[in-house]
Amino acid sequence: MGKSEMIIEDSPGKRVLLMGNEAIARGAIEAGVRLAAAYPGTPSSEIVETLAEAAPKLGFYVEWSTNEKVAFEVAAGAAITGVRSMTSMKNAGLNWVMDMFMTLVYGGVRGGFLIVVADDPDAHYSSNEQDTRFAAFYGEIPCLEPADAQEAKDMARYAFELSEQLELPVFLRSVTRISHASGDVELGKIERQDRKPVFDKHWKMPWRWNVYGPPSAVKKHEWLHSRMPKIKEIVEQLPWNRLEMKDGQTVGVIASGIGASYAIDAIKLLGLEGKVAFLKIGTPTPLPEKLVARLLKSVETVLVVEEGEPLVELLVKALAKDINPKVKILGKLTGEMPQVGEINIDVVANALSKIMGGEIPVDPQIEKIREEIKKLVVPRSSTLCAGCPHLGTYWALKRALATTGGKVPIVNGDIGCYEQGGYGIAGKEYKPSFSTESVRYKIDAPYETLDTNYIMGGGIGLMQGEYHAGYQDGSVVAVTGDSTFFHACLPAVVNAVYNKSKGLFIVMDNSWTAMTGHQPNPVTGITATGNETKALCIEDVAKALGVEFIKVVDPFDLKATQAAIEEGLKSEKFAIVITRRVCTLQAIRLKQYSGKKMTLEKSTCTGCRLCVSLGCPAITFNVDENKAGIDPIICVGCGICAQVCPVNAIKVGE
Amino acid sequence: MKGLNLIIAGVGGQGSILASHMVAMAAIRDGLRARVGETFGAAMRGGAVASHVRIGEDVNAPLVPRGGAEIVLAMEPLEGLRNVVDFMAKGGLLLTNTHEWLPVNVNIGRAKYPSREQIRDAVAKLGGKIIEIDGTSLAQQAGNVRTLNVVMLGALAATGKLPFSTETLRKVIMENVPRKTVDMNLKAFELGLKSI
Repeated sequence: MGKSEMIIEDSPGKRVLLMGNEAIARGAIEAGVRLAAAYPGTPSSEIVETLAEAAPKLGFYVEWSTNEKVAFEVAAGAAITGVRSMTSMKNAGLNWVMDMFMTLVYGGVRGGFLIVVADDPDAHYSSNEQDTRFAAFYGEIPCLEPADAQEAKDMARYAFELSEQLELPVFLRSVTRISHASGDVELGKIERQDRKPVFDKHWKMPWRWNVYGPPSAVKKHEWLHSRMPKIKEIVEQLPWNRLEMKDGQTVGVIASGIGASYAIDAIKLLGLEGKVAFLKIGTPTPLPEKLVARLLKSVETVLVVEEGEPLVELLVKALAKDINPKVKILGKLTGEMPQVGEINIDVVANALSKIMGGEIPVDPQIEKIREEIKKLVVPRSSTLCAGCPHLGTYWALKRALATTGGKVPIVNGDIGCYEQGGYGIAGKEYKPSFSTESVRYKIDAPYETLDTNYIMGGGIGLMQGEYHAGYQDGSVVAVTGDSTFFHACLPAVVNAVYNKSKGLFIVMDNSWTAMTGHQPNPVTGITATGNETKALCIEDVAKALGVEFIKVVDPFDLKATQAAIEEGLKSEKFAIVITRRVCTLQAIRLKQYSGKKMTLEKSTCTGCRLCVSLGCPAITFNVDENKAGIDPIICVGCGICAQVCPVNAIKVGE
Repeated sequence: MKGLNLIIAGVGGQGSILASHMVAMAAIRDGLRARVGETFGAAMRGGAVASHVRIGEDVNAPLVPRGGAEIVLAMEPLEGLRNVVDFMAKGGLLLTNTHEWLPVNVNIGRAKYPSREQIRDAVAKLGGKIIEIDGTSLAQQAGNVRTLNVVMLGALAATGKLPFSTETLRKVIMENVPRKTVDMNLKAFELGLKSI
């Protein structure tokens, strides 16, 4: 049985391997979710991917929305009509949602509403390490935080019931090591919730769904506050909050979410079972205050273990002030736990052994050997794929900037596969500069192209600020992708037209939201559940928004792409160049490639490395021979390297 | 106590994550608990990938502690070495494919790929053992280079260090590879089994 059949199998008690994201989806299915909407974002995407596969079979609605805010509103709308709904997003996705998030809670919901946010400590896939548990605290709604895949499933399932009990959305905070980790999970029963959507604008509260409706927003804020005592009472009884304490224990560990799994294994690793009191936390906000109080009254020292910022630590400190001000509370604020990056068994074990007066034995000789060997371990920068259309766009952009970009052009990026254009090259030394003038740097590979990069759609706004600031030392450029164009760029494009910004905006349209695993988006022409729909056309949208310079080119045609970009750079008006070619991984799936590989004639190759600077991972270079080569296993035969080679050493092979 | 800490390393696109899932599924089917911590790069392909697999009667966290992996299974030699350095236990094993996938850093002349001798030497210095197989060629022999992960699983089973039966692993592989490729993958598994 494959995963997609297993996820909808109604066999309670069966034990299966589930990824955290699949477990969350399964929990929602068990609770009878009727609607799920999300925008993909690593490490959260598999939640709605899993639900999208299940939806047609179980008869509920799932969509990939244009962005997280829209997704949140779609799910909230369903919850207002009394059906169970959910939305999921990555950490940064919540930032888009905050306006609706902070206001929806004033009236709450009627149907259970689950908000899942997957944080990313260590920023494996993210622009920052933000800890979104603070949003649940800020919005005054309960936050569930699972320790493993089993709890992820069970909490997701329970969240709907809790949400309906409180008439508030419930927040489930995952992290990379929950969402992208797998564990054995015991399945529960699948409930059907075939409720008829209903609407009552004065349900239990006048103007329930209109924050401006009388009596007032302040009264609704008061209602929100009135929920908290009830929430606190409930969390005290939840099975995911658990205190294990014996007489004579002087040290306690409070561990939240995945931190509890690390802490349990660290205690075992150190042989400290039964020697430290242990408070496992499944609701970091609000905390089970009575359980925390029992621990604080009994021990002298507490180590707080949590992933992200010191939220639990701060809340425990606040409680200790009245309960037992003498208890020492250690964690991120006191330096026992790291304030950045992610934690693991070793980090917890080190902190705990120091508190217990011991040290983990380290073999200095082995450590020395490890340091020596590390020098051999070459970094492996992630790259664009072999034959990726973005390779062509970046090559053409680099060439066009050299001829027409002025002294120091600025290239503003945003988030998508093409953000690889700003990762730099691991192992290369980049030094800080203290110049008072603009400085141009040599670009060795496409991975050094993007000068700025922050968030979805951020580049097109930055570009306009650079222009209006009066930047004269070179062209200003922004790049984006098809999905990001619709997610976050439309208001900024309108702004550029209306406020008469100049600058070149390149949209790399590969038809898919590729980086997060090839979800469809408004240009793809299919929905999350595989149904055909209207495919939007970026040039039509740009034209409708008032853009006058629009060119569409094929990025595999390097000359034409370079010419279009050069023309855009010279344009007296805001210019858009769309480089359009379907993502190579999709093209391979659709068998649009012949399977032929490129071959390189060594006798002709002069070792100029122009092909290498294309940045294609299939192109190799042998330093001893001073010759380039092509890895036939990786090459897809796209042929752009043949266009780059000045001596025609690269040809299509058999 | 029956248990195993295993790291499966490779380059994005080589199938190490699916391989790690299949190991964990086989463990669960034979009555053990399992955790898999997946670390993959920002893009789908080309980056360093490592999957931590923890199997036992009582495992909780999804990441192997430093120096805690009894086996590092590598789809690519450099990725094997990358994980051996921090994670291989004393007396541990590096089971690696010999086919190199050069990082872009090496191609543009910013770094040098370690030689096979250097890798062997490093494993020996850390008190470990190394088994090298040309998994890529075996995968091609099975019918497609994409069966590399299953070839390597075959070799892993052949070490006799897995705390569950080879038959269970074989069944799990059959159920989890695309239906059209079952025969090819079974061949790949057999080639791996016989390779050491």
